[in-house]
Formats: sequence, structure tokens, C-alpha cells
Amino acid sequence: MTKKFRITICSGTTCYVLGGAHLLMLAEAIPADLKDHVEIIDSNCIKACLYENAQPPFVQINDYLMSQASVAKVVEYLRSH
Amino acid sequence: MNYINNASLLKRQLTVRFARLMFAGNLKERIDYLPMQQAPRDVAAVRCCVHHDRAVIRYRLIALLGFAIENEKPEDEARSLSSFVEEAETSGESRLAGSVLTVIDEACTACIRANYRVTNVCRGCVARPCMMNCPKNCISFANGQAHIDEKTCISCGICAKVCPYHSIVYQPIPCEEACPVDAVTQDARGKQDIDAQKCINCGKCLQACPFGAIMERSEIFEILRAITNPAEPTVALIAPSIIGQFNTSLGKLVTALRRLGFDHVAEVAWGADLAAEKETAELIERLEHGQTCMTSSCCPAYVEAVDKHIQQLKPLVSDTLSPMQYTGEWAGRQWPGARRIFIGPCIAKRAEARLSPHIENTLTYEELGSFFIAAGVDVTECEESVADLEASSVGRKFAVSGGVSAAIVGAADASGHTVNEKVINGLDTRSLATLKALEKIVKPGTFVEVMSCEGGCINGPGVISNPVVARRFLEKMLEEKKP
Repeated sequence: MTKKFRITICSGTTCYVLGGAHLLMLAEAIPADLKDHVEIIDSNCIKACLYENAQPPFVQINDYLMSQASVAKVVEYLRSH
Repeated sequence: MNYINNASLLKRQLTVRFARLMFAGNLKERIDYLPMQQAPRDVAAVRCCVHHDRAVIRYRLIALLGFAIENEKPEDEARSLSSFVEEAETSGESRLAGSVLTVIDEACTACIRANYRVTNVCRGCVARPCMMNCPKNCISFANGQAHIDEKTCISCGICAKVCPYHSIVYQPIPCEEACPVDAVTQDARGKQDIDAQKCINCGKCLQACPFGAIMERSEIFEILRAITNPAEPTVALIAPSIIGQFNTSLGKLVTALRRLGFDHVAEVAWGADLAAEKETAELIERLEHGQTCMTSSCCPAYVEAVDKHIQQLKPLVSDTLSPMQYTGEWAGRQWPGARRIFIGPCIAKRAEARLSPHIENTLTYEELGSFFIAAGVDVTECEESVADLEASSVGRKFAVSGGVSAAIVGAADASGHTVNEKVINGLDTRSLATLKALEKIVKPGTFVEVMSCEGGCINGPGVISNPVVARRFLEKMLEEKKP
């Protein structure tokens, strides 16, 4: 069964050093009622940082690319979609 | 710091920009543009205006170059950053002498002294328990709300406790509160000063300040110059806590370090293995001579705390050198003349290294991470390779609270000696009081592990990973490595 949200956390070094390290706490922060709808993938660099003025860390949620991502922002996004 | 925090991210971004210029070999030509690039006009200012942001960034760059902001002369304000680069080049490492921490006066907002404040949630009630219970009579009412007189308030907190609307809040001075030894105090203008006679370089104030006003005086200028110079041999001495800092394996990290320009890589956990062995022998000998207990000596902030604040404890501190120093000594024999660079989570190690003949420079994980970004090295995409000097899982556990005592007590046990253990997990006012009375508190025959950072080195002031995540990585690796 495919999950509703497919979340890819970029773990490339740029994202990881510039705030992404905290995103590894995401799994614990997903609310219980959403847990079954979420699949979290720990990925190598997704190359989002190569664009000019890129704002890491990046998280890809389905088709949406979130810049300056944080655990709270991701959870809020899941709640509102 | 468990939460993502803009002050530390800003420091990392700036270090990336600095390192990029060093890798390109044009720091002196381009450094004066960095404040404008970091705080461009079209992005909303964090402070009052873009100019103040840039002024603070300029001071951060001066600290990144290794200078103490406190030594600034009035005319220095008009100096270009490139002239500071020139001074760093010509004066050499003598400029690094003195305290490791420096306060950026321009960034310090002079936090308000009174710790309790009435917010506008106050309804000016009839009961007025705040006023009735204040032991110093410093609460008055005006415009229907309570007011605390800052001059007479003694910060006892009774008013906040008794307010039925929770309208009185505690407002700390974060750096002073974080300092376990009262080394941070306000001057007449309310700006903070660090008393070098008292400071133990633990770095807690640096983590605590929400304005990033306290910075460490970095050695990245020397380090980047060395690793970009093919003629200068360098050794990266990586602390045990590095596992879990980059979301990858140790083998990939070793390759990444070599790609940055380090010629050799040695695990400091090797020195921890050796230190554990020596410390166990020392402990057994001391206990046989009737000493009640012995404490660890690997945490430099703790050792400095004993030197400066708990002199009576000195005879109980182990004489064993720190893992960093043993590994540095080994590297000195292995590669004579190479620059030995300790890479760790620690600020106090920088002070220790400056006094040690076995280490030339120290680098934090934050700074190393910024180097990787600047050089375009993605650690997760490097191939696996092996360090020039490897360690066992015993030494690698030194990175977490309880790891040192587990190693020592385990080794003593293996040699037929039963030793008690006590772990002091983090230095604060309370644990310092415990240490002052240590001999009266512990059972005879005890090994006492002391770490300044709560949770151990994985929670040091220079880390990248959340300590919970780092601990998970470390445990996973130790599990896999088990024979």
C-alpha cells in the first residue's frame, strides 16, 4: 500500500550541517494519527542546494520541495494537507 | 543545543564563506565583501538595520581570524578586514594567546538585570499577592498593573509563584545562567565580560547566548592554510564523538578528511584506549595506597574547574594525560614535523591544546562541516577507507557520559579489583557543590567520571548533530563492530 506522504530528508553534507541534523528527529515527532500515512526516506544529496540562493536544509514531501525545513514545519505541512 | 538555532547556523554559513575564499586563495582580496554578502540589502535585517547586522558579522570574521575582540583599539573600527588577514599572516600564532572565548560587544544586547518582569497579562487584581508577599516591598501598582522596582528586587521569584494569572515571568540572562563558575558578569553598560581568571572554557555561555554574542577565537585560518598547502603535512586527530556527526560511516568520513587535504587521519579513541589502560592501573595503585577515590582527567573543562575553583580536589584527579595528548604524541613520532589538528566538539580542548606540546591546532565539528560544504565534499558520497590509526570500541565510548567509567571499572574488574563508579554528568552549580564535598560523599574505592557537558562530548558546544541522534549512531556502530 502506498502511503499518503512520502518524505525524503536530504542528508547531503550541506543540508546536514546547515540544520538538517535535527531532521533525523522527525520520525519521533510525527503525530500518532498520521504515522500510518507517512513514509520517511533518508536520502543522499537530492541536489536542491545547487541552485542559486538555495536555503538548506531541504525536505521533499511528495512533489513539494521545502527549503529551510524543520521538524515543526514538516509536521505543520502534514497537518494542513 | 537540542533545538535548531539561527545563531549557530549563521556562524556556520559565515565559516563556509570564509573557507570558500581560503580554498580559492583570495581571502585577503575578498573578505571585506563578506558582511555584505551575508547580510544583503534586500533581506530583512535581524537587528535594527542591515548596517548593524553587517557590523556584527565583521566582528565575527575578526574572531574567526583568531583575534580577541576585547583587544580592539578605537582606531581598529576603521580598519579593513583584509588588514586583519595581513596581521594574522605576519603575527603568526602569537595572536591566539589568551582566552579562547571572546565577547562581541556589538552583538551583546545588555540583557536586563532584574530576573522577574510583570507582563501585560497582569490584571491589577484586588488580592495583589505579588505585592503582599514581596519580602523587599519592591512591587507597586500604576495604571492598573504591577511594577517591579529593578533596583530593590532580589530575584527571589515569590511574586511569579503567587500570581494567579501567571503574569510575572522569569527572564534570565542566558550566558550568566549557563556559566557554572560565575565567570560571566555585566560591566557598567550592561554588556557581558568573561573573567579569564574564573573561566573554564566550557563553552556553555556560547551555546546559551541567543544573540550569538560570545564566540570562540577560531584557528581555521591556520588550519585552512595548512591543508591547502601541499607542502605542509597535516594530521587530523578525530575525537571519539565524531561518529554520528555526519550521518555516515567512519570510513566515509576518513575519505572526506583526506579529500579536504589532510594527509593522515588518526582516531583519538586510540588514545582513549591507552588512557583507559593507564588510568585503571593508576586507580588501583592509588586505592591500594589508601586514597578514597580518583576522578577522570579527560575533560579539560573539568580539569580547569579543579585548577581554578576546587583546588582541594586536585590530589584526587588522575595524572593520566587526555586521549588527545596520547594520540598527538603518537602522531608526532609517526609523522615528525606534521601539523597535528585535533577535531572535536570541544572549546576547552583548544585551551588544553595551546599548552600541550603534542597538538598544534583544534577544530570543531561545526567548522569541519563548513569546510566540507566550502570544498564541495559530500561525506555521504565518499567511498569507505581506513584511518591510519584505529581504535577499539572501549575508546570510542569515551564520547558519551558513562563511557569512561565503564571502561575503567570494566578493566579493573577484569584484573580482579572491584571498584565502585560515580558519574558526574554535566557541570553546573549543583554538581560543582557535589565535587567540593566529593571525598565525604563517595564510598571508599570509587572511580568518578566527570564530564562538563551533559550527556558527554556528543553534546559539546561544537557539535552538529542532535545529541540524541549522535548517541543512536554511536550505539549502532558499536553494536555492529562487536566481534
